Amino acid sequence: MSLFSDTLATSRFQPLSRILVCDVFSSGLNGWMSLMPNFTQAPNFDTRESVVVKHQWPPVMLSTATYRYPGTHGALSGAYSLKLSTRPVANRYEEMPAPGSLGHAIKRLSFHHLKRKRLQFEMWFAYTAEQDQVNGGYDLGGLSENSLRAFGVAFDLQEKGSRAFTGLRYVNSVNGQPHRKWQYIFPSEVSDAQWAYGTEGDWCKRGVDPLWYGRRYPDGRHDGFQYLPGGEQELCYNETDCKINWLYFRMLLDIENREYIELQAQDRIFDMGGLPIYSIPAYARIEGLLNPLIWVENDATRRVFFYVDSVMISQD
Amino acid sequence: MRQFQAAHLEVKKTFSEDFQTHPFEAGWASEAIFFVMVENVSGEGTRFEAEVEISHDGVHWTGEGSVLGPLEEKGLHFVRVSHFGNWLRLNCRISGNRPALQLLIQIALKE
Repeated sequence: MSLFSDTLATSRFQPLSRILVCDVFSSGLNGWMSLMPNFTQAPNFDTRESVVVKHQWPPVMLSTATYRYPGTHGALSGAYSLKLSTRPVANRYEEMPAPGSLGHAIKRLSFHHLKRKRLQFEMWFAYTAEQDQVNGGYDLGGLSENSLRAFGVAFDLQEKGSRAFTGLRYVNSVNGQPHRKWQYIFPSEVSDAQWAYGTEGDWCKRGVDPLWYGRRYPDGRHDGFQYLPGGEQELCYNETDCKINWLYFRMLLDIENREYIELQAQDRIFDMGGLPIYSIPAYARIEGLLNPLIWVENDATRRVFFYVDSVMISQD
Repeated sequence: MRQFQAAHLEVKKTFSEDFQTHPFEAGWASEAIFFVMVENVSGEGTRFEAEVEISHDGVHWTGEGSVLGPLEEKGLHFVRVSHFGNWLRLNCRISGNRPALQLLIQIALKE
């Protein structure tokens, strides 16, 4: 790909020996798309009843990161990045996510090689809040970093007879208060009904879709995630919502033993050795599924934006 | 090979009041079509119309001049637009007595 030389790829990224995905979004969407419910029900391709409204998540788009005052920010590797966004709606942290308060991007592939031990996700990303209104008359009332609640990266995978959600999220803000901590996907000891906000008969199982299932608590805890020990980190946000800095993220997993290995965010490496990945009995029709996911969630009634310049997924 | 993206702006949602679609960045594309699929209509004298709007920042909007409708019946409708800069949305107006429309709105972009 002319946008991205091998030298640049291996300088910006640290891929394992077998590269599955090397997507630079200035060349297009590369198969990343919005997450939608399953349209499987009569009479008109309707969706199953669910406590979580899944059709309000906004579409992904190719963004120039264009703002009112500076104009176009562009991307790290060209003019365009993959943009996730939310609608200007939000519930309090401890409530179920409001319809449209999360934005997702997903790519869908499958395992192609039996010999696989490690799986790695890397990306260059940036995030900001919409510059739509100034809050109050106080100093820095026009800076809205704490309107972004969280962003994360996950794999939804099924192989060798079991399914697993594995990933990390950065909890930036809880009800407007800075939190700045990493959490990894692992469900608390709850029933399937508790997992689905106390709803009996919602078709989801504990451990599946932690992006929007799993009860949340006002101190930042979440039944779908656990705090990464020592996982406090201030990321580089810049000083105004219309200046974005591109940041590096890397998540390394041992999928043979279903364990996390490490997280790298910017220049810090967090040892995750031995933290388990939770497995669920296999679902029908999806053996071999390998779906990377990126998501963002707001913490205020304004849009927030998450930009991805490029993604590298590799295995060995 | 040309670039193309079709993206949902609303999926099977029922509207009874005026609304605007999600701000969409389309700077890479030179042409766009907004498709509006009306899946269900109820109420008396229910009418839907939409105006294409453009923006320099995704926050402030002004009419581009292209209009879809007014329409009153189920089916697929569209409006074309080109030379729009970066940001695009539809400003949608609904009128009638207890109006309700179930809509599927998609933007189709091409370069």
